Amino acid sequence: MAKPAGLCPRSAAALVIQRVLLGQSLTTAIADTGKSVAEQQRGLFQQLSYGVIRWYPSLKAISEQLLTKPLKAKDADVLSLLLAGLYQLRSLRIPDHAAISETVNACKALNKPWASGLLNACLRNYQRQRKTLETLLENDLVSELAHPAWLIEHYQADWPDDWQRILSANNQQPPMMLRVNSQQSNQTDYLQQLSNANIAASALADCPQGIILQQACDVLALPGFVDGMVSVQDGAAQQVADLLELQPGQRILDACSAPGGKTCHILERFAENELIALDISSERLKQVEDNLSRLQLSATCLTADACQTQNWWNGEQFDRILIDAPCTGSGVIRRHPDIKLLRKPTDIEQLAKQQQALLDSLWPLLKPDGMMVYTTCSIFKQENELQIEAFLQRQPDAMEHLPAKAPARRARFGYQLLPGDNDLDGFYYACLRHR
Amino acid sequence: MALLNILHFPDPRLRQKALPIEKVTDEIRQLAHDMLETMYDAPGIGLAATQVNEQKRLIVIDVSEDKNDPLFLINPELLSTEGERDFEEGCLSVPEAYETVTRADTIRVRALNLQGEPFEMDAEGILATCIQHEIDHLEGKLFVDYLSNLKRQRIKKRLEKHQRQKL
Repeated sequence: MAKPAGLCPRSAAALVIQRVLLGQSLTTAIADTGKSVAEQQRGLFQQLSYGVIRWYPSLKAISEQLLTKPLKAKDADVLSLLLAGLYQLRSLRIPDHAAISETVNACKALNKPWASGLLNACLRNYQRQRKTLETLLENDLVSELAHPAWLIEHYQADWPDDWQRILSANNQQPPMMLRVNSQQSNQTDYLQQLSNANIAASALADCPQGIILQQACDVLALPGFVDGMVSVQDGAAQQVADLLELQPGQRILDACSAPGGKTCHILERFAENELIALDISSERLKQVEDNLSRLQLSATCLTADACQTQNWWNGEQFDRILIDAPCTGSGVIRRHPDIKLLRKPTDIEQLAKQQQALLDSLWPLLKPDGMMVYTTCSIFKQENELQIEAFLQRQPDAMEHLPAKAPARRARFGYQLLPGDNDLDGFYYACLRHR
Repeated sequence: MALLNILHFPDPRLRQKALPIEKVTDEIRQLAHDMLETMYDAPGIGLAATQVNEQKRLIVIDVSEDKNDPLFLINPELLSTEGERDFEEGCLSVPEAYETVTRADTIRVRALNLQGEPFEMDAEGILATCIQHEIDHLEGKLFVDYLSNLKRQRIKKRLEKHQRQKL
């Protein structure tokens, strides 16, 4: 008997979107549902899932114009499928008739055959009234820019000159970037291996181990991926290892390590260094362990809330402490478009408190000549320069350390990359030392 | 280990009735392992000896995600069946066709294992579907036989055309 046909890419994407609407992360939903999608159809499945979430505010607004009455909550899968249909008509190069008929067919897989007529009518109406509907969108900031209103306002307030550029960068599909494991290979050699495998790529500026692929591909297609020769990581995150000014023989703390990209990068520099990798979630810490084992590196992984030092710290201070703090992710929306749906305005305040607690409780763990690096993948000032400014006021013995090479534009304190700067994710960096 | 050639519908050899295995020899064990490898490669979740042109009552099955739970059934017999279950079946001998077939939901089977020892087992869900699908092969029967004449003819024409193009 042949392997079961599994879900068609459109019905599977609808199920993913439904799960995100219910609060699950896009990455988890794709990993779970993707198992039931045939391999050769995973590309379209992922493209649809990411695309619909990325453009959700716009697609939702169009769907409201097309539906005479809103769908019931239990039919969120039908709504999701409608959005996937609209996304295909707006953004993908699939002929309209194929996009419509395949989307209508997917109702069967969702066990909602009654919805076929509805979807057919809505998608054909969109086709007919495309111009009018799209003009309507342009008159509404939320649907035109495809971000919730509170996020737009926050970007405007923090970046009055750049917010439009930021929002547009958030809606781009980001390039796939790699970090070569310097324990096993180097940028030049690995570029050669990629070229031998017919994968077009080039060196990433300012990242000695960084590579940017011309086109995203399955990680398993990357030479030596399984054996740990290379990892997927944005260049913005790759700059952190440089800022740490690593040396052999250091004792290092990575306080919020999952999924382990920076953790592994630190050890790839000097594999013998003693590294303690913490994460508050044991499930997420498992990803760190998996990455370490794939890259053939070792660290002490502990499930702990870094702030509760009495629960995990043995009293020996660190040469380096990395706080890659939990944050809104407002700089990486292009990679995690579900942030648009999952984050709430109240999250900022709560995350800022967590960040402050991490800074305050870990500062005493730093050796007198040690360095602490604080990073976030946010571009909101409250999580970044204002957070560090407040910390420096609370800790008179702490001061900012200026690295030899600035990783990004100078902020009032620290450095800020905006999404799309040098093609990279939005990211914040600050280095701290004792006075 | 070797990959075996899988016969495709409407090959008449798929219609032969397989013969019972008198003794489980090393050759039978070798055939079983080659069939397993062929099935994983296809990729499939079940394969009957008939499909690789061996007229022997031997089937291999693995319905696990991770391909780590192989089941070998020699001279399998359905002892009892219960309930109904619809499943969209596909067959390695009928490439790219998937159609819904109704079969028993729960079954009890007797067979010999690779050591030639008899055993009985209960199966339900996809495993039950798969065992019934493979036992059908040993009787010269295919899942397309459960479909309407029209659907079967359409699949047959498509595969015949496909085979002509390959020649």
